[in-house]
Amino acid sequence: MSNVHERLRRLLFLVPYVSKHPGVTVESLARALNISREDLLEELDLLTCVGRPPFNPDDYIDIYVDNDRVYVDLDQRLFAPPRLTAGEAAALAASAELLRPASGDALQSALQKLEHVLPPQVRERYREMYRKIDASTEAPQALGPLTRAILERREVMFGYASPGRAAEPRRVRPYELLSHRGQWYLQGFCHTRQDARLFRLDRMEDLTVTETPFLPPPDARADVPNPARSSSEASVRVRFSPVAAPYVKERFGQDARPLADGGVEVLVAGDSERWLTQWVLSFGGEAEVMEPVSARAAVARAARASIGL
Amino acid sequence: MDRTERILDLVALLLDAREPISWAELREHFPADYGGSDDAAERKFERDKAELVELGFPLTYVQGDDERRDGYIVDRDAYYLPEADLTKEELAVLYAAGSAALASGVFPGRDDLAHALRKIGFFAGESLPTPRVRMELGATQAGQEKEVSARLEQLWEACAARKWVEMSYASPKHPGTTQRKVDPYGLALRRGVWTLVGYCHLRGGLRTFHVHRVRELKANTARPRTPDFQVPEDFSLDNHVAYFPWQHRFHEPVEVVLRLSGALASRASGLFPGAVLETVAEGGVTLARLRVSFLDGLARFCLSLGADCVVEGPESARSRLREMAARVANRHADALEDKVSA
Repeated sequence: MSNVHERLRRLLFLVPYVSKHPGVTVESLARALNISREDLLEELDLLTCVGRPPFNPDDYIDIYVDNDRVYVDLDQRLFAPPRLTAGEAAALAASAELLRPASGDALQSALQKLEHVLPPQVRERYREMYRKIDASTEAPQALGPLTRAILERREVMFGYASPGRAAEPRRVRPYELLSHRGQWYLQGFCHTRQDARLFRLDRMEDLTVTETPFLPPPDARADVPNPARSSSEASVRVRFSPVAAPYVKERFGQDARPLADGGVEVLVAGDSERWLTQWVLSFGGEAEVMEPVSARAAVARAARASIGL
Repeated sequence: MDRTERILDLVALLLDAREPISWAELREHFPADYGGSDDAAERKFERDKAELVELGFPLTYVQGDDERRDGYIVDRDAYYLPEADLTKEELAVLYAAGSAALASGVFPGRDDLAHALRKIGFFAGESLPTPRVRMELGATQAGQEKEVSARLEQLWEACAARKWVEMSYASPKHPGTTQRKVDPYGLALRRGVWTLVGYCHLRGGLRTFHVHRVRELKANTARPRTPDFQVPEDFSLDNHVAYFPWQHRFHEPVEVVLRLSGALASRASGLFPGAVLETVAEGGVTLARLRVSFLDGLARFCLSLGADCVVEGPESARSRLREMAARVANRHADALEDKVSA
């Protein structure tokens, strides 16, 4: 898309925004438009030259900065932004799909209302473009109540099954939801464990949102779980056949060491035997643990167990 | 005059006009811009008009009659964004999803999405919810997001304008890259990976391409406003992309029955969404029936789930899982000191 187009879209939003928020600071206006302070001042300069013929003094947009705050006295009828374009509506609708079906009826009704405010000549084009992005993830049902609990700052309770153990009840302050490689996680403070924890949504049962409020910490960002890149020193050497090598190289990049037969070898963290075994098995015989022998034995045992030995 | 400035002037002029404005008048208003030969001036105005239409400016040309003269007119009511009256909950959903998609860095139509979020927030004042939903999409390695993001943006524009693209594609099934000319039909996200679905001129049929495997990409720039192809009426992205490894279309679908016990019994619906489930043995065991068009993909997944996941039938699926397990066991057999036969 050309720069002119991007700039026009920005400016046609800027004037109404200031009109609605007179005295908005330069900084928060720049943030609202996602541009730098310098770029914003340049845009304001340009706007003072905009007007309509015959270009008498009152025919120009009168927008100015006073004491680091922005005001508009004459908006030349730019008091509301333009309607959504087909592309904007389609991108918005497609992104909303990311939370389906968790968002339930709210999503459906929101999209209907949006479609309703599209200009009639744009509606068909919007429907056509909407069909061109399909971002429906397998969002679990728990996403809906958890999003609400995070927004409303209310504690949640659920049963949680750790690997190899039966589900036990947890009471948690939900901070953030995170999707990583198609897997959803909740990051929060667990009262049961008295510590920050990351929970997989697919291991939760009987989720309830309580009435107990809490105050979230200002920055509760979850670390991405990545068993392959743990900080642990104890590493496991895994070798892959030439068939699996391209897929492994895609994920590990330079860390995948090429072998003479066309395969590759990688070093991964060895602190979770369970994860390692699952991962090696998921290559269905195209992966082999080289060392340590304890990890080799764990994979062999798991494979034998699968065929009832 | 700068083009951005001229187009904004046109917006201001047309929004204020009570009467249609003729081309002759426009030329008088902007003598420096629409001066020169008739041809050049008209082409310039045509380009400006196209830009206005792209922005969603409802500009029409009316033929005059006794009452009215010929000229351009804008439907003001159709220009201004009205309040959509979104409830707090609806706004929260759109905001959480839209912001998460933007923050992920890897979503097609990022610019469009950013503008859309601003617009729907216009009437909401300061009460916009702060979303705490984060998603990592589309990149298989850290640091790859920027490249994937740029490819998605190009592909989104090509999909929207229906222009073919030329790309070099690195498939893990073949060494090196192949040059492809593709009519892009659409983009789909499955399990964190973006896939382009389109008609591949090299293979002469519909193909899917993982966007992170696209190395170079160039869209046809000739005649940007004229589409190069039509997308078939009955085309649906969902018919061409798989959610799970066993859904890749490598053979005719077969129905497979899995027996899930232990901790897996209660997780069946999450592990195999869409499968028909049946609880047996007083809740301790779940039978899952699912359609499979790639047995190897299913076998690998079942193997990784461990001994609590057993294939009940058909025999082809049972034996495939056994073969695979035996192969893994044998490659690691020295650690346990005995061999297994499949």
